[in-house]
Amino acid sequence: MRHRSLVILTSVLTTGALTLTACGSRDDDKGGDSGSKKTEVVIGVDAPLTGQNSATGLGIQGGVQVAVDDANKNNLVPGVTFKVQALDDKAIPASGQQNATQLVNNDKVLGVVGPLNSGVATQMQQVFATANLVEISPSNTAPELTQGKNWQTKKVRPFKTYFRTATTDALQGGFAADYAYNTLKKKNVFVVDDKQTYGAGLAKLFTAGFTKAGGKVVGTDHVNTGDTDFSALVTKIKNSKADLVYYGGQYDESEKLTKQLKDGGVKIPLFGGDGMFSDTYIQTAGKTSEGDLATSVGQPVDTLASAQDFIKKYKAAGLKGDYGTYGGYSYDAATAIIKAIGKVVKDGKVPSDARAKIVEEVGKTKFDGVAGPVSFDEYGDTTNKQLTVYQVTNGKWKAVKSGTFNG
Amino acid sequence: MSGVGPVEPVETVEPVEPVEPTEARPGHAPGTHRAAPPPDVIGTDSPRPTDRWRTLPPRVRITALTAAVTALAAAAVWLLPPSPSAPEREEPATPWPATTTAFRYTGVADNPSAGATRDFHFEVSVHDGPPVTVSHINAAPGGLRTRTTPPMSFTVRAGSAHRITVRITVADCSALPVYVNLPFLDVTLRNKHAIQHYSFIFGNRYSRDLSGLLHTACDANRALPSPRVRREVRVLTMWTRRVLANPAEADLHTSSSTGTS
Repeated sequence: MRHRSLVILTSVLTTGALTLTACGSRDDDKGGDSGSKKTEVVIGVDAPLTGQNSATGLGIQGGVQVAVDDANKNNLVPGVTFKVQALDDKAIPASGQQNATQLVNNDKVLGVVGPLNSGVATQMQQVFATANLVEISPSNTAPELTQGKNWQTKKVRPFKTYFRTATTDALQGGFAADYAYNTLKKKNVFVVDDKQTYGAGLAKLFTAGFTKAGGKVVGTDHVNTGDTDFSALVTKIKNSKADLVYYGGQYDESEKLTKQLKDGGVKIPLFGGDGMFSDTYIQTAGKTSEGDLATSVGQPVDTLASAQDFIKKYKAAGLKGDYGTYGGYSYDAATAIIKAIGKVVKDGKVPSDARAKIVEEVGKTKFDGVAGPVSFDEYGDTTNKQLTVYQVTNGKWKAVKSGTFNG
Repeated sequence: MSGVGPVEPVETVEPVEPVEPTEARPGHAPGTHRAAPPPDVIGTDSPRPTDRWRTLPPRVRITALTAAVTALAAAAVWLLPPSPSAPEREEPATPWPATTTAFRYTGVADNPSAGATRDFHFEVSVHDGPPVTVSHINAAPGGLRTRTTPPMSFTVRAGSAHRITVRITVADCSALPVYVNLPFLDVTLRNKHAIQHYSFIFGNRYSRDLSGLLHTACDANRALPSPRVRREVRVLTMWTRRVLANPAEADLHTSSSTGTS
């Protein structure tokens, strides 16, 4: 009797579980293909995924991946399944140009997020413009990319297909100069840059703001990307009696420079831009990074209620890279493209002039993203002009001043 | 071999077909085990489940049904996907005050009240979310003294604007820059979510007007501090914290007049 009862109970439970499993499967199908084949659309990504700058580059790739996963899960564009095609530019302009050509030649690619580096962007813009393929960089800050070479006297937008969710060095350099002179009370600065479009441009804008305020540049020098020995530069800085070093470039070099500076007895802070704002900087420089500063675009993502869900998903997905610098902006850039695609691609049907139409729709973007409001001005620049100064405090980047440019 | 219990010899009475060697499994030598062929069953005379169910005593049937219902409910919770409409965030996405508040510079007063003092007009607006209270305004950079009219603090609701005048007095020329490139106001904002110390940065127009004040006040004796003002070093710190259920009002700066130097 007891044996028969157990058999019956087991049968009931098994039947119930199988029934519920089947129900779950049917529900999944409703949100998925549901019998009809979806159109595959690719969001391209170009960033350094290996080598120099790859910590922040992988953060861009991860941010886009989370946005695409969200779009697919929520069926944001009915009839469309999004995929990510990420290409590694190794922070080399020529590689970026090759990647741009590859993405343009893939008909499934209807938008691209990237690149990380302004210097790489200069070699990609024309390729995308020729193919009417929209490109949104989450991190390029060189003003000329959107406002032309003579942006300081007359702004002219060079490429209608190029947009960015990060604000420019025109603000970042001035913001840093103001903070250095008025808040840190530094009067003598030694300026170093890496001779790249971003680094040299930022250093130039910092210098202009600092000297205009009344500060003095007591020395300048350049480094090459990939340099590891800065002993000669340390001696120059030591002899200059500077009370601050400003560095225009990426964390790969500045993390070594600051360590060699402090080890060489030069106990003054090193101040840089968003290219330096990476956890890798602190991990590599260790305690010698304490007190160093960096400006970065936007507000700290951990203070944004809108970014908490993104951070949770990024971590849960086990994605590599530093999401803190550009991850949120990458998510917003990808979402802007996806929303534009949603206005152009109906029921999975991609019109022949889809790319051109998507460029137009991206220009009309207006939504609240994870890193703040997302929209673009007539140059393709973000209207969200927020900046933050961070300082290494107890082994972490701590926001010490955050501001919004009101024009 | 599992090592559990004695091993008893088994004499098979059915002919056994040759078997292919199989991969060894724990407890089994290769090629020595073969599952018995399934019986060729066409039908059965055994009682049907419904007949068996009826033969069970009521107590057993109740126990079985209760266990089945409980198991089904547990399985449903585990297997069924969450409702798409279920909120994913743990807390409501109340915006932080700095993300909803805007300061717009509207111009300088025509008639300067004194050589070292000038009135600057701003419009404060909140475009979204809960009301924002502005409790503290400082005009950067250091070396300036700030007084706001109407006095602090004031609250701005979403969709409305509040006009204020910030009277700036040059207090210490030696602490001031020659030219202010990206001048900003440091403010303290509060809504029901957080209190933030934040900066609003202004472009050409305010930069030009504020630099004009600095030149008027300081060009003649830039290196000489004003005799009525002592020199201080101001350290700006940015902070943000969530609003507690009953925030202490003492946490807020309520003074309407602040020396920034």
